[in-house]
Amino acid sequence: MGDAVITVRDLELQYFTRRGPVRAVDGVSFELLRGETLGLVGESGCGKTSLGTALLAVLAPPGKIVGGSIMVDGLDILKLNDDELRRQVRWEKVSMVFQGAMNSLTPVYTVGSQMNETLQRHKRTAYSSTSRREARKVIERYLEMVGLPSDVANRYPHELSGGMKQRVVIATALFLEPSVVVLDEPTTALDVIVQAQILNTIKELKRRLDLSLIFITHDLATEAEVADRVLVMYAGRIVESAPNETIFATAGAGASGAPGRGACHPYTRMLLAATPRLHERVREPAFIPGTPPDLLAPTLGCRFRPRCPVAFDRCSADPPLREVAPGHMAACWRCG
Amino acid sequence: MYLRYALRRILNALAIFVVEMFIFSVLFTATAERTLRAQIEESLQPEAARLRNATAEQVQRFVTERRAYLYHASHLDQPAFARVLWRTLDTLTFQFGNSITIKSSRGERGVWRIIAETVPPTVMLFTTSIVLQVLVGVWLGIKQAQRAGRTLDKSASIVTMVVYGLPTWWVAMLLIMLLAYALPIFPSGGMYALPPPNGLASAIDVLWHMALPVITLVLVNFWGVALLARNIVLGILQEDYISAARARGLSERAVLYGHAMRTAAPPLTTIALLSLLSSVFGNIIFEGIFSWPGMGNLYWISIEQGDTAVTLGLLAVTTGLYVAGLAFLDLIYGLLDPRIKTGTAP
Amino acid sequence: MSNQELPNARTAARPWLRDLLGELARQPAGVAGFLMLALFLAGAVFEKRLITFGETDSRWHDITYWDEQPADAAPFWTNAFASQKSAVSLLLSPSSSAHESSGGARLLTHVFTFPYRYDLPPRDLVVRFRGAGDLPVAVTMTRPDGQEITLDQEQVSAGSGSDVRVSVDKSAGQAALGFLQGNESVDVMAGVDADRIRPTSVLFSQAGPGMLAKPRALKGDYTIRLLVVLVTPTAQISRPTLVVTGRVSGLLGTDNSKRDLWSGVIAGIKWALLIGLLTAFVSVAIGVVWGVTAAYFGGPVNWLMQRIFEIFSNQPVLPLLIVISAIFKPHIWFLIVIMAVFFWTGPVKTVYAMALSLREETYIEASRALGAGSARLIFRHMVPMLIPYAFASMALSVPGAVVYESTVSLLGLGDATIVTWGQILHDAFTGGAVLGGLWWWVVPPGLMIALMGMTFSFIGFAMDRILHPKLRRR
Repeated sequence: MGDAVITVRDLELQYFTRRGPVRAVDGVSFELLRGETLGLVGESGCGKTSLGTALLAVLAPPGKIVGGSIMVDGLDILKLNDDELRRQVRWEKVSMVFQGAMNSLTPVYTVGSQMNETLQRHKRTAYSSTSRREARKVIERYLEMVGLPSDVANRYPHELSGGMKQRVVIATALFLEPSVVVLDEPTTALDVIVQAQILNTIKELKRRLDLSLIFITHDLATEAEVADRVLVMYAGRIVESAPNETIFATAGAGASGAPGRGACHPYTRMLLAATPRLHERVREPAFIPGTPPDLLAPTLGCRFRPRCPVAFDRCSADPPLREVAPGHMAACWRCG
Repeated sequence: MYLRYALRRILNALAIFVVEMFIFSVLFTATAERTLRAQIEESLQPEAARLRNATAEQVQRFVTERRAYLYHASHLDQPAFARVLWRTLDTLTFQFGNSITIKSSRGERGVWRIIAETVPPTVMLFTTSIVLQVLVGVWLGIKQAQRAGRTLDKSASIVTMVVYGLPTWWVAMLLIMLLAYALPIFPSGGMYALPPPNGLASAIDVLWHMALPVITLVLVNFWGVALLARNIVLGILQEDYISAARARGLSERAVLYGHAMRTAAPPLTTIALLSLLSSVFGNIIFEGIFSWPGMGNLYWISIEQGDTAVTLGLLAVTTGLYVAGLAFLDLIYGLLDPRIKTGTAP
Repeated sequence: MSNQELPNARTAARPWLRDLLGELARQPAGVAGFLMLALFLAGAVFEKRLITFGETDSRWHDITYWDEQPADAAPFWTNAFASQKSAVSLLLSPSSSAHESSGGARLLTHVFTFPYRYDLPPRDLVVRFRGAGDLPVAVTMTRPDGQEITLDQEQVSAGSGSDVRVSVDKSAGQAALGFLQGNESVDVMAGVDADRIRPTSVLFSQAGPGMLAKPRALKGDYTIRLLVVLVTPTAQISRPTLVVTGRVSGLLGTDNSKRDLWSGVIAGIKWALLIGLLTAFVSVAIGVVWGVTAAYFGGPVNWLMQRIFEIFSNQPVLPLLIVISAIFKPHIWFLIVIMAVFFWTGPVKTVYAMALSLREETYIEASRALGAGSARLIFRHMVPMLIPYAFASMALSVPGAVVYESTVSLLGLGDATIVTWGQILHDAFTGGAVLGGLWWWVVPPGLMIALMGMTFSFIGFAMDRILHPKLRRR
């Protein structure tokens, strides 16, 4: 692993709805190291997708970044205007594989022409003068890399299966060789077999092209497969950050654990407990009672408190995210 | 395959037209026959008059025989159902008979000729208006979609609602009162000045006469197109592939005019043209306010004169054009939407 | 076919009626629409009190009813903007009456006082009464300058009782001519065409040379006397009235058949409402049931219904409507039926799509498993989900129906037993109002059509926005 290629400090992102501002990302800080795969886990609505799109500064309105900074390759992207973002950041430094790739491709253009368009748009940087033939060659090379025959380029999106579309989108995300690729639920909508294939492809590509990845998902099992380090998000905040082995080595039940020997934040532990294992006897499916908090008016104190089985009076004060063991951060009074 | 789609659609249109003409025959057969009988009687008079050296009895016999012959030729002596079928066949082969009261500009009485003469002015007028309506409407609609919810959008929407129930012919009356009477800028009617000029001046003269009708049509009707464009484009702009395109670093212009508009083109084109097509046939009457010598004007004339042959013929032609127009739009849609072109059902 | 999102039947049905109205109240367009609708309904309900001629509805086409009105008169309030004030129509009762007997005869004198302060004289003065018997009648006028003129002297046969009218315009020609001769030179008189003199123009002008060429109004009180000799005991007269047929008249003026346009326009409200609402309701009801039934049954039933739908929707409605009206000359109810028969195709496509998705809902399956029959499923479970959409569709259909009927009437094919705005406009167009600049005839009826269209389009679009919230703004 190298130095930090993305540094996020105190990021705040809000959606200005009719009922008031929804604080989707509420003070998030983390680092992505070069060559690392950072996994981002959490329930639906915890802010992980918003965080992902923020890294490219492509927020869906009415979203706005209201605070903090995002440094990509030493460049503070929040200080750039739209034009600069388009020319320097999007797809050149950071690219994204969106949730539901089926809908990432415009239905009226062939796959190849859309890839070509992206390529031509960024001609300046990666390929100083790309003729159509050269562009075609690049496209075919990357299609091959993701395991697709080159004539896919002549097809329209509706003629491809879900898995094929997903691969196209991955190829498109890669061919400008950005520093970082953000993948948002890239396999969720696919069946298990295709899922496994895609994951393997991703891992292979990461190895070959030496990519840094941010892998967003709610599925812990997938995360276990790909992530080097895992960030757990809850209610717009990061509640735990630890290496893969630490998190997934959590043994035993119980909502609190010893740091260094497994996940220690109660939310993480309950998430893990709720995932049935192949080799365990499952008596009753464990679940986390209650619902995620309303991000319009977050409560004071620890946000997980209403659902936490081990909450105590100290939890009325908001626990900060701090290091509880080497390389292991958690936001919980019970952790170290 | 597109070819199969096209063929099916055309056959469909033909079938519908035949059924419709049949229904018309059923509805209007009584009236049509009345006219036919009257025409036959009328034609018998001069024929009878020409028999000079015959006795009254011989004339009578001649008239009776002739009448029977003519009735037989027009299938009037057949049972009801057969008569309806013959009428349908006549309509489908454009045999509309002759007009009693109206003549074409060349003095012909054939209903088909009379109608055919009025088609070019109608086509000219409405095609010009439609082109303008689409241009202005789509332009405004895109602007509205880009600035959805803001002043331009809101005020344009209000105007759209205001003109929704406006009869175009009434606006025509108002504009004539304003711009042809109070301020005599435009001519108040007709297609040519009398006497009509020649050459280039003639073209300008026609344009001059066409100006006020076109202005009226466009002014009232482009708002509907704008609303459609706005809604379709706005809907598309919220789709995932648009934000994905933006994320890929494409310029706003490429995203809007390339991806958004191109995806909007199939539904927008067809829905816009569809509504315009309907409005054409809904507004055809307003030609009469301007005495613009097209099909709409012919409706006025034939109804005023009670000339049912022409009226019915007009109805058949109008319906035929409408059915053809709808089929044509579907064919265009098939060309634009790749999902149909390449054969996968939408 | 399009990429537009269908109004989701389930989420759209959740605002049930009360909520729907509540939502509507929050849209300014919806509120405006309902206000206008309330005004129209009030107009229709209080018609009798609003119109000035009570029998407008039944006697619109009866010339005698309107005889005392001026033709092509502008509304009375235009006087406020005119440099020369025109006389306004009035009805006067006698200011005094006298009764004399001599021999076996009775002489009745009714005196009317007409204050004339205008620049432009009335079109006519009509002395009207109900009489019986043979009556010698005389009408005289005393001008403010003291001159007295005998306008008319004639013998009227009133039979056993009938309305008698003595019109100055028709009968005082000679008297006017005589008066002119007394004032103008012989040369001027030589060039005068006796038939083209309007008595009232002469009678109300200042006397003197040049009164014909450059008339100046003689303002003041005019006294008009009606003298009737009752010879036989059975002869009598009653209800003597002086009708001043003004140059301007009424709230909205008159047309060339002397009909008061305000009354006509108000009378038209109820017909427009009836035509619009009835057509919209019936056609959308048919359309919804059609779409749901086709979606529910699928298969051959669907195929047949689709084919029938195609036949109806591939038809230009207005031309057919016109031709049917021209040939069969239907009355208004028949016209409504024909319109409904074609308008139902409007909502069907959307309803069909919505119903298809509804059909897959589990509660439908569950109901079917419980043994519910098709009719019950369709009408109790599926159709109610579509009611919000149906309302929006109905509202948006009303303007079309109203415009279609007016277009048919515009061509002179309307139902002659009623008054509609389209008919008024037909008369306007064929009566030369457009090229004659009679704006009060052309503008109000059309404006009413436009306003009614606006009312329902406001309501309909407000409802539509509730169903498609995503299209409100980004």
